[in-house]
Amino acid sequence: MSSKNVQQNQSIISRILVSILTFFKNIGLGIYKWIIKIGVGLKNSTVHFATRFRDSSTLTKVSHFIMGFGNMARKQIVKGLLYFVIEVGFLTFMIMSPVVNDTPMGFRAIKNFITLGTVEGDIFTPTDNSMLMLLFGVVTTGIIFMFLAAYSSNIKSSCLADELQKKGKKLPTFKEDLAELMDAKFHLTMLTPAIIGIVIFTILPTVFMILIAFTNFDAQHPAGQVLFDWVGLENFRNIFSGSGEISVRFLPVLSWTMIWAFFATFSNYIAGILLALLINKKQIKLKKLWRTVFIMTIAIPQFISLLAVRNILSEYGPVNNLLMTIGLIDSPISFLATAANVWTARITIIVINLWVGIPYTMLMTSGILMNVPQDLYEAATIDGASKRQALMNITVPYIVFVTTPYLITSFVGNITSFNIIYLLTGGAPIVPGGYKAGSTDLLVTWLYKLTIDENEYNLGSVIAIMTFIITATGTLLTYRKSKAYKDEEAFQ
Amino acid sequence: MKNKVLILLVILASVTLLYGCKKQDTLLIWVGDESQEFYQGIMDEYVTAYNEANDEDFPYLVSVKGVDTGSAAATFLEDTDAGADIFTVAHDNLGKLITGSSSIAPITDPDLLAQIAADNPATFADVIKGSVGGTEYTFGVPYIAQALVLYYNKEFITEQQVLTWEGILAAAATANKQALSLTGTDGFNNSFLLLAKNATTQATSLRLYADGDINENYATGDDVLSVLKWGQRFFTNPNGAKRPTDSGWTVEIQNEISIAVIGGAWHFNAAQAALGSNLGVTKLPTFTVTSQDVYGSTPAGTEFQSGTFADAKMFVMKKGSDKAAYLQDIMMHLSSKEIQEQSFTEANNLPSYKNAKDEFDSMTGDSVEIQLAVAQLEMFERGIPQPFGADTRFNFYYYSKGAPDLIMEILENKNDLFDTDAAILAQMLIVEAIWKTGVRPTT
Repeated sequence: MSSKNVQQNQSIISRILVSILTFFKNIGLGIYKWIIKIGVGLKNSTVHFATRFRDSSTLTKVSHFIMGFGNMARKQIVKGLLYFVIEVGFLTFMIMSPVVNDTPMGFRAIKNFITLGTVEGDIFTPTDNSMLMLLFGVVTTGIIFMFLAAYSSNIKSSCLADELQKKGKKLPTFKEDLAELMDAKFHLTMLTPAIIGIVIFTILPTVFMILIAFTNFDAQHPAGQVLFDWVGLENFRNIFSGSGEISVRFLPVLSWTMIWAFFATFSNYIAGILLALLINKKQIKLKKLWRTVFIMTIAIPQFISLLAVRNILSEYGPVNNLLMTIGLIDSPISFLATAANVWTARITIIVINLWVGIPYTMLMTSGILMNVPQDLYEAATIDGASKRQALMNITVPYIVFVTTPYLITSFVGNITSFNIIYLLTGGAPIVPGGYKAGSTDLLVTWLYKLTIDENEYNLGSVIAIMTFIITATGTLLTYRKSKAYKDEEAFQ
Repeated sequence: MKNKVLILLVILASVTLLYGCKKQDTLLIWVGDESQEFYQGIMDEYVTAYNEANDEDFPYLVSVKGVDTGSAAATFLEDTDAGADIFTVAHDNLGKLITGSSSIAPITDPDLLAQIAADNPATFADVIKGSVGGTEYTFGVPYIAQALVLYYNKEFITEQQVLTWEGILAAAATANKQALSLTGTDGFNNSFLLLAKNATTQATSLRLYADGDINENYATGDDVLSVLKWGQRFFTNPNGAKRPTDSGWTVEIQNEISIAVIGGAWHFNAAQAALGSNLGVTKLPTFTVTSQDVYGSTPAGTEFQSGTFADAKMFVMKKGSDKAAYLQDIMMHLSSKEIQEQSFTEANNLPSYKNAKDEFDSMTGDSVEIQLAVAQLEMFERGIPQPFGADTRFNFYYYSKGAPDLIMEILENKNDLFDTDAAILAQMLIVEAIWKTGVRPTT
C-alpha cells in the first residue's frame, strides 16, 4: 500500500475517532448544560411561586392551602369543588395508605420505597414484598407528580380569576370552561388521555424496570420470600469486572448484536433496493405480479415462516435430504443451533432474515422510485449523463435521503430483534463454559433468558438499560451525521 | 319526585341482585394438563361426599386446572396471590418455594403426615422436607412418581439385545443406524451415565448435595470416571449415541435415524406417535466397562446399571391461603392409595405408592402403558431422587451453570481434548466446583 494511501486511511480513521470523541464530548456538555438549566429553572420557579403568593389576593393565598377555595369563593362552584375533591382524595390516599396485597400505598409506600421492606417473616408469617414496595413507591411518586400538576392548575386558575376580577371582566362558568375544552383548548382534551396512558403504561413501568437495575432482585431474593435491597451501581460494575456471566459474555454478545444489526439492516436494504430497481426496469413485464409475489411473504406471520425454515434447514429436513440425495454431501449439515461453527449459524440467520426483510424495503423503494421527479432525469439526459450516472447521482441519493430515517429505525429494530434469534436457534450454538448467552444471542434474547429462565431480574434490567444507551447513542450519532438531517433543503 | 324514587328503587334492586349473584369463592387446584379432567371428577365427588357427611354445602367452589407442572413453581412465584391453593410441583422445585420465609405452608395434620410416611418409599422422606428458619418441616405430599426409561424400536432391537447397551449398539451397527438419540443435553439427559450404579452392589461413589450440604458433591470417584470413559466410547462410536439435532428426537426415531431414546413419561405420547406398534418400553440397559474404560481401582468387566433420577410430583399448599382449614384433608384424599390407583388406570399417572407394583391389580398386563409403568417402577428402585429441594441454589447450579455442557464435552471428545484420564479428571473437578459454587473456576 502506498504511503499516500496509508496517510489517507490514517486521516479517515483519525477523523472518525475525532468525530466520535466530539460527539461524546457534546453529550457531556449537553448533560452539564441541562443540569444547569434544571437548577436555574427550579430556582426561577421557586422565586416565581413565592412572588406570586406574595402578590396574589387573599382568596388565592387561601387556595394554596385549600384547593379550589379561590374558585368557589368567586362562584365557580363546580370547578372549585373538583379541585377540593382532588386535594381531599390525595390527602386521604397519602394519610390512610390503603393496603393492596398486604403492601401499603400512600405515605407508607414512600417510606418503604427507601428501605424496600424490613420485616423478614417466618414459616407462618409473610415477609415484606420488596418488589411491591418498589412498585408502589414508583406509583405513589407518580400520583404525587399528578397531584402537583393539579395543584399548579388550581393556583393558575385562581390567579387568572384574580386578574379577570381586577380588569372587571366576567369570570367564565363551568359550562364555558367545558366549551372551551372542546374548542380553543381541544388539543388539551385530546392529549390528556394519551398522556395519562403513556404515564401509566410506558413511563411508570420503564422507571420501575430501571430501578430494578440498582437492586439485588434475583433468583436468590424471590419477592415475598426474601427481602432485596438497593445495591447502587454494583450490577453495572459487574459488567466490567468479576468472573460472572455478565462480565464474561457482555462484550461478545454486544459485538454480535452490532454485527447482526449492521448486516441484517444493510443486506435487506441493499437487496430490497436492487429488487425494486430490477422490477421497476422498463423491460420487466408483469411488474404488479412480481411485486405481489414478494409482498405475499409479509402476509404470512413471521413466526410461522421462521419455524418452517428451521425445519427445512434441520439435519433431517428437506434441504439436507436433497443435498445428500444428489450427492453433494455425505452427512447432514447443521445450519442452526447445532452448527459446528458458530459463523455457520450466524450467516444462516442473516440469510434467512433476507426472506423476512426484503419485501418491506422493496415496497418502500418502489414507492419512492415512482415519485422521483422525472424532470431530473430529463435534465440529466440533456446534460449527457449516462444511465449509470443518473442512477448513482439522482436515484440512489434520493432513495438514501428518503430512507435514512427508515434505515435508522430498522437498525434499532434489528438490535432488538427477538423473534428471529429465539425461533431459529434459541441463542445456540452454546458457548463452552456453560454460559446462558449463546453464540447467536442478542442482548434482548439474553435479557429474556436471564429474566424468564433464571429470574435474574436485576441483570436483565442492566442489559436493557445498556441496550437503550447503545441504540440511542447510535441513532443520534447516525441521524445527526446524515444528509437527511444536515441538508434537508437540498431535497425539497 | 316520583321519577327520583323510581330510580332509587331500580338502583337498590340492581345492587341486591348483584350481591345475590355474587360469585362463590373458588378453591383452586393445579394438576398436570393430562390429569385435569380426572382430578376435577375426583373433587366433584369429594364435594358431594362432604355435603352428605356434614349436612351442609362445601363452602367453596372447587376448580381443578391443568398446568405445566414443570413450570408450576415458577408460575406460582410470579404472583403468589393469584396462585393455586394446592398445586403440583416436582420435588426438586421445593428449594425455590421455601427460600427465605417460604411461599408454601408446611404439612401439620398428623393423619396426613402418617399417610405420607406409610405410603411412600424411604427415598422420598428427605426430599419432601425442607428447612425454614432453622426448623425442618414436611411440605410435599407425593402422589406421582417418575423415572427415565428406554423407548426403542422393536423392529431393530430384540428383547435380548435391549437388556444391554452393547446389545443395542450391535443392533444399530447391523442396521446402520444410531443406537441412541438424546432428547436434550441438560443434566437430566446425562443422568443415565452419571448416576449409573454397580449392577451387583447397587453402589456408586457419586455424591450430589448429600445431606443437603452444598459442599457434599463428589463426581471424581474411580467408578464414575470409568463410566464416563465408557460413555465417551459410546458417543464416539459411529453407531453410538448422538446429541440432539435441530430436527428433534421424534423425527430421528420416526425416520429411523436412531433406534432408541431415553425419556420420561412425558415423552410417551410423542414416542408412541413416532413408532406406533413398533414402540417398546423397558428399563434402562446395563453396560460393562472394558480395559479401555477402567480408571483407578475399577476392574475391567464391572457391569453397571444405567442410572436415573427418581422423581416425585407432589402437592403443596399456598402459605396464607384463606382456605387452609380444608387443604390438608383434600391433599390426603387426592394422594390416597385408592385415588392413586384410579389415577393410574384413568389418567396414566405412575403412582408414588411404594407397593403399587404388587398391590395394584391394574399393574398387570401387556399393554405398552403397563410396560411404561413397570419400567419406571423398576428404574425407580435403582434411581436417586433429585437432591435439589433443600436449597434453591442446588437446582440452579446443577442444571443452569454449564456443568452438563462440560460433561457432554467429555462424552463427545471433540478434537480429542479428553483422550487422557488426566483431562477427564480435570474437567470433572471443574464440574464439582460448579455444583458447589455456581461458578467455573478461573484456574
